[in-house]
Amino acid sequence: MKALRKLVYPYIAWAAVMIVVPMLMILVYAFTKEGNSVRNFMFSLDSFKRFFSDPVFSEVLKRSLEIAVLTTIFCVLLGYPAAYAMVRSRFKIQWVLLTTIPTWINMLVRTYAWRGMLDNKGLINSFLGLIGLGPYKMLETTFAVVLGMVYNFIPFMILQIYNALEKIDKSYLEAAADLGANRVQVFLKVTLPLSVPGIISGITLVFLPAVSSFFIPKLLGGGKYVLIGNVIENQFLTAGDWSFGSAISLIMAAVIIVSMYITRRIDRKISPEGGLDK
Amino acid sequence: MKKILSLVLAAAMTLGMCGCGENAGSPAQPADGGQSAVEKYGSDTLKLFNWGEYIGEETIPNFEKEYGVKVISDYFDSNEMMYTKLLAGESYDVIVPSDYMIERLISEDMLQPIDKSLIPNMENLCDSLKNREYDPDSTYSVPYFWGSVGLVFNKNNVDRAEIEKKGYEILRDEKYKGNIYIYDSERDAFMVAFKALGYSMNTENEDEINEAFDWLKSVNDTMEPAYVTDEVIDAMVNENKDIAVVYSGDAAYILNENENMDFIMPNEGTNIWSDAMVIPKNAENPKLAHEFMNYILTHDASYDNSITVGYSSSNKEVLDELSGEDGEFYGNAAYIPREGYEKDEIFHDNEVLKKKLSELWIKVKATN
Repeated sequence: MKALRKLVYPYIAWAAVMIVVPMLMILVYAFTKEGNSVRNFMFSLDSFKRFFSDPVFSEVLKRSLEIAVLTTIFCVLLGYPAAYAMVRSRFKIQWVLLTTIPTWINMLVRTYAWRGMLDNKGLINSFLGLIGLGPYKMLETTFAVVLGMVYNFIPFMILQIYNALEKIDKSYLEAAADLGANRVQVFLKVTLPLSVPGIISGITLVFLPAVSSFFIPKLLGGGKYVLIGNVIENQFLTAGDWSFGSAISLIMAAVIIVSMYITRRIDRKISPEGGLDK
Repeated sequence: MKKILSLVLAAAMTLGMCGCGENAGSPAQPADGGQSAVEKYGSDTLKLFNWGEYIGEETIPNFEKEYGVKVISDYFDSNEMMYTKLLAGESYDVIVPSDYMIERLISEDMLQPIDKSLIPNMENLCDSLKNREYDPDSTYSVPYFWGSVGLVFNKNNVDRAEIEKKGYEILRDEKYKGNIYIYDSERDAFMVAFKALGYSMNTENEDEINEAFDWLKSVNDTMEPAYVTDEVIDAMVNENKDIAVVYSGDAAYILNENENMDFIMPNEGTNIWSDAMVIPKNAENPKLAHEFMNYILTHDASYDNSITVGYSSSNKEVLDELSGEDGEFYGNAAYIPREGYEKDEIFHDNEVLKKKLSELWIKVKATN
C-alpha cells in the first residue's frame, strides 16, 4: 500500500504546475500595476480601487449575479422533476445518456444553434407564424440569455440530483409509507431532505459557470448584456490589462467563495446528514 | 450496474468538457520527387497563425502538395488574442495580424525583416499596398487581405440616397430603432462615432473622445442596437435587421448571398485596414515562411482565398478579375476598398487610447 502512495506524486506535481501556479500568477497580477511583465513587480491596489470606485463595474457584477441566480433557480425547478422522473423510469440509463449526449457537442455550437431558432425569422417564430402568432422578439433579450444558460447548464443539475435520488434506500420510503405517510408526505419528509446534497452540488455546478459565462450573453443577448465574464475577457484579450482582469477575477473568486460558504451552511441545516441512521 | 452507469456518466462529462482546437494538416510527399522539404528548408513543417475562416479551402492542401510540407494551422479571433499568445512564448512561422498590430510588433522588435528576393510575387501587389503607413517599405510584412468598414443595408427598407446623405448619423435615426447592428469592438464602434463627428479615429483629444462616447451612448439609449461580431453575417443574410456596421469582406459575402442587401462607405470616412503576413522573431522555419508568403501572392492561391472569404485580394490581377465583368464580385459595392479618399484613415497603435476606449465601450453597453 505504501509503495502505491508514490503514484500520487505525479498528480501533485501536475496540480502544482497546472493549478497552483496559474492561481498565484493571477494573485500577483492583481496586485501589480504598469504592464504585463511580472519582472517589474510593483505592489499596488490600483486595480481594486478602480473596480470599486466606478459604479459601472459593481452594476455589471450585480447583473451577473442576478442572471446566474435566475439560471440556477430555473435549473433546480426544471431539473428536479426531470431527475425524479428519470430515477423512477424503467429506462434510467437511456435517460442519463440522453441528458449527457448534448454535452458531447461543443457548447459554442449548441448556443449558436439557438440563434437560428430564436431569430425573428427563425424556427420558433416560423412555427408560431403557421398558427397565426408572432413574430415575437426573442433573440437579444434577457429571456434568450437565461434560456441559453439553463439549456447549457441543466445537465449538471439533473445528474447531481439524479445521483442523490438514486442513492436513497427504497426501504426508507417503504417504512414511511408503512407508518402512514401518504405519497406527498413521503416525498416532503424523506425523499426531498435526502436529496438536498444533490441539489446543493448541482447549484454549485450551475452557479459557478453561469456567473462567469461570457459567450452565452454575447451570442444570445446581442452583446447588450455585459456580464462580469465579458469584462474579464475584455481585459485580457482586448484591453490587454492583465492586472485589472486578474483583480476582477479575484473579486469574483471572493464572491463565489462566500456564496459557496452560504450554500454549505444551508446544506448542513436542512439535510439530515445521516440523521435517519442515528 | 451502478458502476457502469457512473462510468458512462464520467466518460460523458469528460468528453463533453474537452474541446480540441488544433487542426493539423497531413504530411505529404514532394510532388516532383526532387529535393525533400527537409533538405531545402531545414524542416517540413510550417506553423501558421491566422484568423478563423480566412483562407481558401484548397489553399493549404495545394501548398502542402506542391512543396511536400505540412502546415499546422492555429486560429485567433482578435489581434490582441494573437499578441497575448505570442507574448506567452508560442512560436509560429507566419502570422497574419492587422496594420496597427504589425506597427506594435515592429516597435517591440518582435518581427524578422523579410528577404524580398525570396518573394518575387511581391510585384503582384496592388499599388496602394506597396507603400503602407505602418510598414512603408514592406520591410516586415506582406499584405494578405485589405478592406474597409461600412454599412450594409436592406435596399427594400432603406433608401440608398437617404443613407448616402446621412452617413453614420442614420444609426441615430429613430425610424430604424431596434433595427441596427453595431460591431462589438471598441475600435470599430468608436471609429464610427469619431467619423460621424468629423474627428480623426486616432485622436487623443479628451473632449473629442467624450463626444464620441456620448454619441455611442445616445445610440445605445435610444436605438436598441444589438452588438455583434461574426454573427452579423448570417443575421444580415437572413434580413434580421435593416442596417449593420460590417467589415467590407463580410459585406461582400452578404451581398453575394442576398441581393436585397447593399453596402456603402459613408462620406464621413472610414477605416481602410489591411492584414499582412509577418514572420515573428522566434519562427522556427523562416525559409519555408518566405515560400508560403510567396505562394499566397500567386494568382491561384490569392484567387482561391478571396473568392472563398470575400475579402479584397492584395493581388492586383485577382482584384481586377474578381470585380470584373465575369468575376464573382462584379457589381458588388463592398469588394473594392476606396483608395485615396482623404477622410479615410488607418488605425495606429496606441495603447493608452485603446485602454481608454475599451473601458468607455463597456460603459456604453453596460448601463441602460
